[in-house]
Amino acid sequence: MEELFTRLGVIFSQLGDQVQAALENPDTGAAIAAAIDVILPVACGILRVVAVPLAILIIVRCLMSLFREKTGKEIWGWLTLGDGTRLDLCHWENALGRGAWADVSLDFPTVSRSHAALLRDDKGNWKLQPLQTKNGTRLNGKKVTHTVPVHSGDILDLGGVGMEFYAISEAEEREQAMRWGVAERPLSPGRTLGYLMVFQILMAVQCLPGREGQEIAMIAGAFAILMAAMWVTYGIYRSLKRTAFEVETIAFFLCTLSFAVGAAYDPTTLLTQTICVIAGIAVFLVLSVLLRDLKSTVSLRWPVAIFTCLLLVFNVALGAQIFGARNWIHIGPIGFQPSEFVKIAFLFTGAATLDRLFARRNLIFTILFCGFCMGCLALMSDFGTALIFFVALLVIAFLRSGDVGFVALMATAAGAGGWMILQFKPYIANRFGAWRHVWEHATDSGGFQQTRTMSAIASGGLFGKGTGDEVFLKNIGAANTDLVFGVISEQFGLILALCAVFLLLVLVVYAARCAATARSSYYVIAANSAAAMLVFQATLNVLGAVDILPLTGVTLPFVSLGGSSMISCWGLLAFLKAADTRPNASFTLKLPKRIRGWIPPDADRMYDDRYNGWYDDYDEDAYDDYGDGYDEYDDYDEYDDYEDEYDDRYDDDSYDPRGAPPGQKGLGSWDDLLDGPLWPEGEDPLTGRPRNPSRHPEERGKRP
Amino acid sequence: MKRLKRRTIIALILAAALAAGMLFFLLQLALKGSDWVGFFAAQYYNAGAIYDRDGTLLYNGETGEYAENQTTRVATLHLVGDQNFGTSLRSVLADRLTGYNFVTGTSLGSHDVSLTVDADLNATAYAALNGHRGVVAVYDYTTGDVLCLVSSPSYDPENPPSNINDNPAYEGVYLNRFFSSTFPPGSVFKLVTTAAAIEEKKDLADFRYTCTGSLEVEGDVITCPYAHGTDMDINQCLATSCNGAYATLAMELGGRTLGDYTDQAGLLDSLNVNGISTAAGSFVAEPDGSAYLGWSGVGQDKDLVNPCSLLAFMGSIANEGEAVVPNLVGSETIRGTAIPAALPAGKDTYETYSPETCQRLKEMMRNNVVSQYGQSQFGELAVCAKSGTAEVGGGAEPHAWFAGFIDDADHPLAFVVLVENGSAGARVAGSVAAQVLAQATAD
Repeated sequence: MEELFTRLGVIFSQLGDQVQAALENPDTGAAIAAAIDVILPVACGILRVVAVPLAILIIVRCLMSLFREKTGKEIWGWLTLGDGTRLDLCHWENALGRGAWADVSLDFPTVSRSHAALLRDDKGNWKLQPLQTKNGTRLNGKKVTHTVPVHSGDILDLGGVGMEFYAISEAEEREQAMRWGVAERPLSPGRTLGYLMVFQILMAVQCLPGREGQEIAMIAGAFAILMAAMWVTYGIYRSLKRTAFEVETIAFFLCTLSFAVGAAYDPTTLLTQTICVIAGIAVFLVLSVLLRDLKSTVSLRWPVAIFTCLLLVFNVALGAQIFGARNWIHIGPIGFQPSEFVKIAFLFTGAATLDRLFARRNLIFTILFCGFCMGCLALMSDFGTALIFFVALLVIAFLRSGDVGFVALMATAAGAGGWMILQFKPYIANRFGAWRHVWEHATDSGGFQQTRTMSAIASGGLFGKGTGDEVFLKNIGAANTDLVFGVISEQFGLILALCAVFLLLVLVVYAARCAATARSSYYVIAANSAAAMLVFQATLNVLGAVDILPLTGVTLPFVSLGGSSMISCWGLLAFLKAADTRPNASFTLKLPKRIRGWIPPDADRMYDDRYNGWYDDYDEDAYDDYGDGYDEYDDYDEYDDYEDEYDDRYDDDSYDPRGAPPGQKGLGSWDDLLDGPLWPEGEDPLTGRPRNPSRHPEERGKRP
Repeated sequence: MKRLKRRTIIALILAAALAAGMLFFLLQLALKGSDWVGFFAAQYYNAGAIYDRDGTLLYNGETGEYAENQTTRVATLHLVGDQNFGTSLRSVLADRLTGYNFVTGTSLGSHDVSLTVDADLNATAYAALNGHRGVVAVYDYTTGDVLCLVSSPSYDPENPPSNINDNPAYEGVYLNRFFSSTFPPGSVFKLVTTAAAIEEKKDLADFRYTCTGSLEVEGDVITCPYAHGTDMDINQCLATSCNGAYATLAMELGGRTLGDYTDQAGLLDSLNVNGISTAAGSFVAEPDGSAYLGWSGVGQDKDLVNPCSLLAFMGSIANEGEAVVPNLVGSETIRGTAIPAALPAGKDTYETYSPETCQRLKEMMRNNVVSQYGQSQFGELAVCAKSGTAEVGGGAEPHAWFAGFIDDADHPLAFVVLVENGSAGARVAGSVAAQVLAQATAD
C-alpha cells in the first residue's frame, strides 16, 4: 500500500514536471495540446479506477431490483373440503391428486395420483381438466370426461372426495395485485440508467487518448447513439407502462464494454457495432411482441425450422472460407454468420407449451433439427457453435423430459462423435494437444493466444492499463472476439471483466427464478435454454481464452466484437425477458385487466426510496389518466381465438398426443405421463406448510 | 410449473461450472500471475534495468542492452542471462523488473533492480579462471549477499560466438554451474566426515593414523598421493587430506551416519536463491566394510555437491552453524528513481552443525591454511579453507576445489572455487581464491 502511494507520488511529480515543461512552450496552442497529452493518460487512469465502483453500483442496483424478496404469496382461488380444510390454489396451473408432486395434494385412496387439473387463463376463467378416467371426476354431480369450465361455488368430486371451488373475486385479485406489485416494484431503473450513462461516458473518454479528429468523432458518436438507444428503449417501456429494465440494463452494460473494446482497438469497428446494437434492440422488441401471442409463436415453428435449414444448406454449399470456418454469408457489403441466427430459431423450435410436454415424440423433432444444425456447423468447421447447440439441446431435452438418463445418453453419444471429429480434424486436435500445456506452446498456434491472454490479464491488474501503447493483446489476431475477456482485463481491469461474466451468470439465475411464476412452460423452457446458451458460450469463450478449457473461438455474449453475435444475443434476451411475470416487467405479457387500473404511470418515481410514504403522495389524476390509456393494449380478442382452438383440441376425440386410437382419448395414460414430465412435487413454495391435510392424524380418514 | 422449475437446475449447473472455472482461474492468477507477466517481460512490457552493487548497468530491460564493458558482459552473463538461459535473473526477476503486482498489474511502471554482486570482482574472478570451466562464488556469510558469482565458460551476449553449439569449449555454456550443476566434491567432503567424527567419535582426540600411501579394504585399495606421515592426529589428517585416514574414519562411522551428516550440512537440499532453485547434491550410503564406503568418506564414489549449497555450508561453519541462503538482489527501486519499490527480502537461514563442531572445524580449516596451503598467498586474511582434488575418471584431470571463508568480522566472506579439470586443488583453485579475496577485501 505504501508502495502504491509512493509510486502514485512519483507519477504525479513527473506529471507536474511534464505539464510545466509543456506550458513553458512559447506556442500557446501547442503548449495546451502538449499539456493535455500529458494530463490525459493520468486522468484516464483515474477514470478507470472510478469506473469500477460505478460498475459495481449499477450491478448491485440491478441485482437488488431483480432479486428482492417477494413479500406476499399469490392465491388465485381455493378448494374447501367437507371438514372445512382450505386448500389454496397458488398457480394458474394446478395439478390435483394423491401424488406428492401435485400442486394440491389430496391423500385419499380413491383419488388418483394425478387426478385432475384446474387451469386458469389470464382473463380469470377457470377450467377443470380430468387427467384420468379410472376414479371418476364430477362437477356439480355430473360426470366430467373432458375439459369443462368451472365457476366459484361449483362442487367438485374427485374419486368420491367432495370439495367446493372458489376463485378469488375481482376485488381480491386487485388487492392481491397491488400487494404483489408493491413488493415487486423495481428499484428506480431510470436512476440506474443514469449511472450507466455516466459509466458509458467514463469508458468513452478512456478510449480517446491517442485518437485524432475523425476517430474521436466516431467514438463519441457511437457512444452517444448507444446512450440514445438505451433511453429510447426505456422510453418505449415506460410508454407501455413497464418499469422493470434490469435485464436490458445488463445487456446495455455489456454492450458498453463491447463499444469500449472496439473503440480501443479501431474506432471504425464501432460503425458495425452500433448498427448491430440497434438492429439487436429491434429484434429484441419484435420478438418480445411476437412472444405475446403464444399461438402464433408456436405456429412459427415449422416455417422457422425450414428457413433455418435452407439457410444452413445454402451456407454450407456457398460459404466462404474465412478464419478456418465457413460460417459466413456475404450479401453485398454485409456479411453475417447464419449460425448466430440459428440460435434464435433453435429456441423457437425447442421450447414447448404445456400441452406439448405430454407428447415426448415432439422431442424427436427438436433432436432431428438440432442434429441437422450441428451437422451443418461441423461441415463449416464451426465446432464451437455446434457445441453450444448441443448443450442447448441437452438443456431443452432435460427441461422437457426431466430424464437424466436420456440426457446422459445423448452426452455420451456426442462425446463419441467429438472423439471422431478429433480423429479427422487435426487442427482441432492440435488445440486439444496444447490444452493445459499452453506455456510449452507459447510460440506455436497451440498456445499463442492463450499465453498472451493470461499474461495480459495479469499485467492489467484489477484496474487495467488503459488503451494506449502499453497494451498489446488487442492487436493479437481475433483478440477482440475470442480473447475479449483478456482485452477487457488488460485495458480496463480484471474487476470489470469479472463483472461481465458475473452478469451473464445473473441472467441464468434470473431465468431459473422466473420458472416459479411463468405463465406457460414455453416461456420457462425458452428462457432457461436461452440463458444456458449464453452462459455456456461465455464459458467456452472465457475459460478457453485462459486455458481452463480448449480454445474454441466462440464469442462472449454482448461483449465480443461482431455484429451477428450482438443481434442474436439481443434476440435470446427477448426469450429471457418473456418469462418474467412481474406485473410491470415485460410487455411480452399482457397486463391483466384488473391490475392495469391501479399501476400509476409514474410508478418509477413513486417507488423511489425517497417516497417511502408514497401512499400519501398518491396522485389520483395519474391514476385516472392511466385508466384511460389502457384500452389500446387490450388484445384479448386475438387471444380468445387461440383459447378456442386450445379447447377444441381437447374436445376433439381424435386428438391424442400419445397417439391412442380415436375414441379412447388415451386419458388413462395421463397418469403415467404426468408421473414423469410435468407436474411438480413437494410442499407449497409460498407457505412452506405441508399440503396434505390427512398427514395430520386427527384429519386422517375424515371424508365429506 | 414447480417441477419445471426444479429442472432449471440444469441451467444453474452450467452457470456454476462457469463460476467454478472463474474461481479456479483467479486462484491461478494469484499464484502464477507474476510468472505469466515475466514470461513475456522482454516482449510486451516495459522492464527496468539490472545494476551491480556499484550502479554499473548490467542489463537494460527497456532497450535489451547489456553492460557497456565487454569484460563485464562476459563475466556477468550467467547472472543476467539472455534468451538462452532458463535460470537467470533476467527471467526470475522479470516480474519485478516489470513492476508487477496483483492489484495494479504492471500499470504503475517498471522497477530497477540492483544486485549485491560486484561486476569488477566478477571480471577478476573470470580472468582468474583463465579459460577453465568452473565456478567462483564469494558471499557475505552474515547477510547472504553474494559479491561474486562467475560460471565459466561464458560469452559476450551482444556478440555470441557463431560456433557456440559445436565448439566443445562451450559445452554446457548455458548452465549456471553455481546453481544448476553438481560435482564430485573430492576432499572438500572430508569436512563432513570430520564433523561426523567430532560428534560421533568420543575418542577422536586419541585418533592416530599412519599413512603408508595406500589402504587395503577387502581387496580394494584406497590410495593417497604419497605417504602422509606417521601417527597423525585428526588435524594433520585433514591438513594433509589423507585418504587412508578418512576412509578409516568413514568405515568406523558407517554410511548411514555419513549420509545423515551430509544431509545436516544442507548439501542434499535444493535452495531457493531469489527464485532460482539450485540443484540438490547426492550421497549414497555404501554398505559397511566396503571400499566404496571409504571412498564416499573422502568425497569420491557417488558423492555430488552443488557449489551453492557448499558455499552456504562454508558460511555456516564460519557462522556458528547458521547457514544463510545466498541472496543476489540488493534493492528494488521505481525505474529512474531511488525510491524503493519493495521491502528488502528477509534473510533466509537454516542450521547445519552445532556451534562447538563448527568451532572445531574452523580451527582445523585455519590450520589447513597455515600448515599446508600457505598463508602467504592470502596476505593478512585469516582464511580457513579446505582444498579438494576430485577424480572424475575417464583419464581427465581432476576437478580442483578450494572452499572456505575468512574468519574476520570485517570481512565475513565465504567462498567456493571450482576449476574443472584444474588438477591439484590447493594450488590451482587456491590461487584463484586468493586473487578474488584480495580484491574483495581491498577497500
